[in-house]
Amino acid sequence: MTEKRNIAIIGAGIAGQEAASVLAGLGYKVTLLEKQERMGGMLNKWSKLFPDFSSSQQILDTVQVSANKNLSVICNADISSITKENGRFELSDNSSLKVYADLVLLATGYNLFDATLKEEYGYGVFENVITSVDFEKVHKSGKKLTTLLGKEPRRVAIIHCVGSRDAKSGNTYCSKVCCITGVKQAIEVTRMWPDCEVFNFYMDLRLYGSKYDSLYLEAQKHHKVQFIRGRLSEISERQDKGLQLKAEDTLQGRPLRMNADIVILLVGMEACEQNADLCRNNTLDLDENRFFKSKNIHYARNISTQPGIFMAGSCICPMSVNETLESSRSAAFLVDKSFRSVQVEE
Amino acid sequence: MRTLMQRLGEDVRLKEGLHACMSCGICTAVCPAAEYFEYDPRSIVVTVQSGNEAKIRKLIESDTIWMCGQCMSCKPRCPRNNCPGLIISVLRRVSQETGAFVKSRLGRQQYLILKTIGTNILETGYCVFPASVVPETHPEQGDVWRWIYQNKEAVYERVGANLDKEGPGAMRKIDRENLNELERIFAESGGNSFFSTIVKFSRAYAKESGFTDADGEPDMEKYTDFLLNEDNDEK
Repeated sequence: MTEKRNIAIIGAGIAGQEAASVLAGLGYKVTLLEKQERMGGMLNKWSKLFPDFSSSQQILDTVQVSANKNLSVICNADISSITKENGRFELSDNSSLKVYADLVLLATGYNLFDATLKEEYGYGVFENVITSVDFEKVHKSGKKLTTLLGKEPRRVAIIHCVGSRDAKSGNTYCSKVCCITGVKQAIEVTRMWPDCEVFNFYMDLRLYGSKYDSLYLEAQKHHKVQFIRGRLSEISERQDKGLQLKAEDTLQGRPLRMNADIVILLVGMEACEQNADLCRNNTLDLDENRFFKSKNIHYARNISTQPGIFMAGSCICPMSVNETLESSRSAAFLVDKSFRSVQVEE
Repeated sequence: MRTLMQRLGEDVRLKEGLHACMSCGICTAVCPAAEYFEYDPRSIVVTVQSGNEAKIRKLIESDTIWMCGQCMSCKPRCPRNNCPGLIISVLRRVSQETGAFVKSRLGRQQYLILKTIGTNILETGYCVFPASVVPETHPEQGDVWRWIYQNKEAVYERVGANLDKEGPGAMRKIDRENLNELERIFAESGGNSFFSTIVKFSRAYAKESGFTDADGEPDMEKYTDFLLNEDNDEK
């Protein structure tokens, strides 16, 4: 049997690695391509995961793959083109790398919204304005969150929907995981500084996971985190580097001004800019949010609009870690099924 | 008869200003007027979005719609590309056209604005002309303005203007030919009928409120006096 068994996976974050280990375990020849120097992708930036505060490192260690007879890993491979010739796919980067495969699995993940684009929030200008990812970095270092001057914050404000649900940012969709991240980080701040007041400014609390609402309850009940329904219009910096926030408390119907020592911006998940490159010279398509378009969002979510190319994880839409891993196994299953059906036909 | 919602919908500014509001409050948060008045642009948008005739009627009869300074700060912030400032412009127009403006103190001031700016522009060619900003009726201009007003010939000459005189220069007299053109523009563009609508409803309200002359006709001088001294009861 002249077997077609070569699979190329683009992206060695948790989605790519999970699919790679499933498929290599089934006996396929897998080439895992990673644009960064090391695997793990975006999860490398996170400290603890919602809703259970488990360590992201533990997930990274669990999904970690190593090269074996069925699996080769190529790092620093920034794939920018996928073409199909003579029944097989050719993947290439901007240098001389070329990888050939019978099927391709996209696991290219997401980008973080660039908070400097919301100029009215002052990220990159006011030093005490940070993003949720900056907060994860502080948390991971084991240090406590302090103001620029190294002081204990008396009040921290966490801003939801930064770069999400916002036509002005070009992202009208909900990034979905930020609400629960905001609840998680609010609790983490109060664990660092029990006397610190934490306010979350939200539009709608979209706590969709089965255990997320109990975390919300815990935040309110045990950590006295306060939730204000209103979108922040702007932040200004005071002479002492403290911050002043302007919003409306929409449930009271009143404009609100608040001082805070630190503001955390919950930056949303965006599609990778490189997605558009990967759509050239094939029939891959992007959806209205610039993520890869599924053949059908209900029953063929992992199947792209180009036959032979599958998708896993947050290159489809914003996803949590557990959804990403499930999406990945689902994609691996469909890739396997696709090979089997081809062989049955032969 | 057209409903208020139909009247609002006929204005292109409503199509531009209202797509769909998710009540995030960013417009109120950025609104300068909301800092000083009991004023909430978000709830105005929500009312218009609801299409509820009774609530919209109440809105166009209220002071609320006249508190907006039309700075349009709401426009660049709205995450849904709405513009509350434009929605308010439309509410104001419908309030003027239907006479609802006479039901509120700030609305009634339409008559004063027409008498000052409206008259100024047709008679002098300027919206605001120094001679017409009389210190007695414009106490907000303060003592400096009072002094300038009293010495206006010398002051304007000193700064190189040509106040109310023939020939070129700032604040010059606008000649009859150009004033006729302005009048023509007002006639053609609906400005005159807009003015007469405001006058019509204001006269009716003056009469109804007892500001009448010996013949029982509206006494608009008495009414103007009333408007100038009308207290803000809501405060």
